[in-house]
Amino acid sequence: MLKRILMETDFEKLKALVSKFEHLEVMEIPGFEDRLSRLNVELNSAGFDRWGLHPETLRRFAPFMYVLYKKYFRVEATGLENIPEGRVLYIGNHGGQIPLDAMMAGMALLLESEPPRIARAMVERWVPTVPFISSLFTRIGAMIGDPNNCRELLLHDQSVMVFPEGAKGSGKLYKDRYQLQRFGTGFMRLALETNTPIIPVAVIGTEETYPSIYNFKKLASLLGAPYFPVTPFFPLFGPLGLVPLPAKVTVRFGKPIFFEGKENEPEEKIREKVQVVKDALQSEINVGLEIRGEKIFSGAAK
Amino acid sequence: MSAENKGRPKVLITGASSALARLVAGALSPKYDLVGVDPRPAPSNSHFPGEFVVADYHSRKLDEVFQKYEFEAVMHLGRIRDSQNYSSQYRFQMNVIGTQKLLELCKQNAVKNLIVMSTYHVYGAHRLNALQLTEESPLRASQSFPELVDAVELDHAATTFMWRNREVRTTVLRPVNVIGKHIRNTICSLLRSGLCPKIFGFDPLMQFIDEKDMARALILALEQPHPGVFNVAGEGLIAYSHAIRHANAMIVPLPPFITAGLVRVIAEVSRMNLPPYLVDYFKYPTIVNDDIFRTKFGYQPKVKTVQSLKNLGTPTERKKLESKSVLDESV
Repeated sequence: MLKRILMETDFEKLKALVSKFEHLEVMEIPGFEDRLSRLNVELNSAGFDRWGLHPETLRRFAPFMYVLYKKYFRVEATGLENIPEGRVLYIGNHGGQIPLDAMMAGMALLLESEPPRIARAMVERWVPTVPFISSLFTRIGAMIGDPNNCRELLLHDQSVMVFPEGAKGSGKLYKDRYQLQRFGTGFMRLALETNTPIIPVAVIGTEETYPSIYNFKKLASLLGAPYFPVTPFFPLFGPLGLVPLPAKVTVRFGKPIFFEGKENEPEEKIREKVQVVKDALQSEINVGLEIRGEKIFSGAAK
Repeated sequence: MSAENKGRPKVLITGASSALARLVAGALSPKYDLVGVDPRPAPSNSHFPGEFVVADYHSRKLDEVFQKYEFEAVMHLGRIRDSQNYSSQYRFQMNVIGTQKLLELCKQNAVKNLIVMSTYHVYGAHRLNALQLTEESPLRASQSFPELVDAVELDHAATTFMWRNREVRTTVLRPVNVIGKHIRNTICSLLRSGLCPKIFGFDPLMQFIDEKDMARALILALEQPHPGVFNVAGEGLIAYSHAIRHANAMIVPLPPFITAGLVRVIAEVSRMNLPPYLVDYFKYPTIVNDDIFRTKFGYQPKVKTVQSLKNLGTPTERKKLESKSVLDESV
């Protein structure tokens, strides 16, 4: 039987088919090579930078992301001209179970800002334990949200993206969408210490991609994950339920906010400053939501 | 020791049978009088450029060596890492008790400079590690792996000694994986063997330092004594899978649920040199920041990581090397 299958298989045709897939260009990104070469990164002989960024991985991963960015979520970015030169701390709203918000904001910075920028995202502490994701994230510039990581990057004039809501934000339920959860204060101390401007980044749309109706905490703790979302489609429809809803995504970069002060100020003073950022971000979100209107999948962006 | 060499500073090097120690000794021999100590006999291929004493670090013999020569400096490179041929009790005895004895002798004999080679392994591979570990980062290694207790205790003994005895200028170096065609540590043997275990789905960043860069770093530490604890790294980061590729080896995938206990059993059965703690180092990055060492000592690695991985050679090439002397290599 096996012999017959082997005999009847046209290997040449199969090979041609495989090579077709290998050379399949998902989508040509206009000017991507040029943008990649203009990034503010220093690579060693192995092609990695000081923090594990690997532009080669970025190059391979980008076409896939580009399809999501251009075709699926039809991302529009505004306010990119607000970003000052040098180090910046991007503070964003977190939602939608998986960090699509970070990826879309990161893609906007990579593809549309001038000069092209790479934002290093601070991720959840359980990410290093997740196979594949752990190494992929490091190579595209993410790392665990340890204050030492953030400080190091800022002191080397790199830009960092932080979601101060943390897992509380990304795991939030559909009914809580676009309501900022409790903010951590660590980012403000680091911004003061390194004298870094803060840019609020409102990502509209990603919070509707996985409408979580229930957080299965028991299962989450069993898996060692911070949360386990139950959506109308997941886990009911299995892997199919993992497909995000094609909401229209807008990334709004706000005006930079400069703070003065010392990093060792008492907590309540820091909290006041954090509140300023939180308010700025919430109003940026509200403006974005208003422009978008009722139409989640096709609303306006500008 | 000849008469004309009388005024030259005398240096004791432990672990003198190792390739790294001989590489250092070869570079130091024109300027210093060297004495090598190692519990293992000297390798037949290259004689040690100076007197060679076979002695355990905690034996009486070491007292005599210290009394015979007035050492200006001591380089303690003799940490026993081989977990396959030496039991953990023996390693503890040699690495911890032996080091304590050596430190005590340095103090008693008014040694001016002491260089202790520890390892980056003391930080431990942990998912909560910052991407760049500084010298102040917590030492988590012995938390998960009793196999590394001796390494952590050695480091601890050396740093404590440094603070307590300021008259002996102590420099503790924590280098990353030392690789090179002469080196015979676990990671080199793995990369050289052509088959490297890698946990499926995990591809941590790693750092390597070439043997020559490491020798240079040790010589810098000897020549400009700045007491302190310093990380020492090579050119830069590289993902483990890339390192395997550059070393011309093949990946042997291990299942993601593999545990240290399982590796212990595999190593026991297959008689492979596969320390169980490597499971974590194959999963989580342990990257050290050596900025302080670079600025303080003016250290700059010269060998590119990719190049030194390519230089590793095959086991047969390594065997051939044994007939040649490592002392012929210039650092």
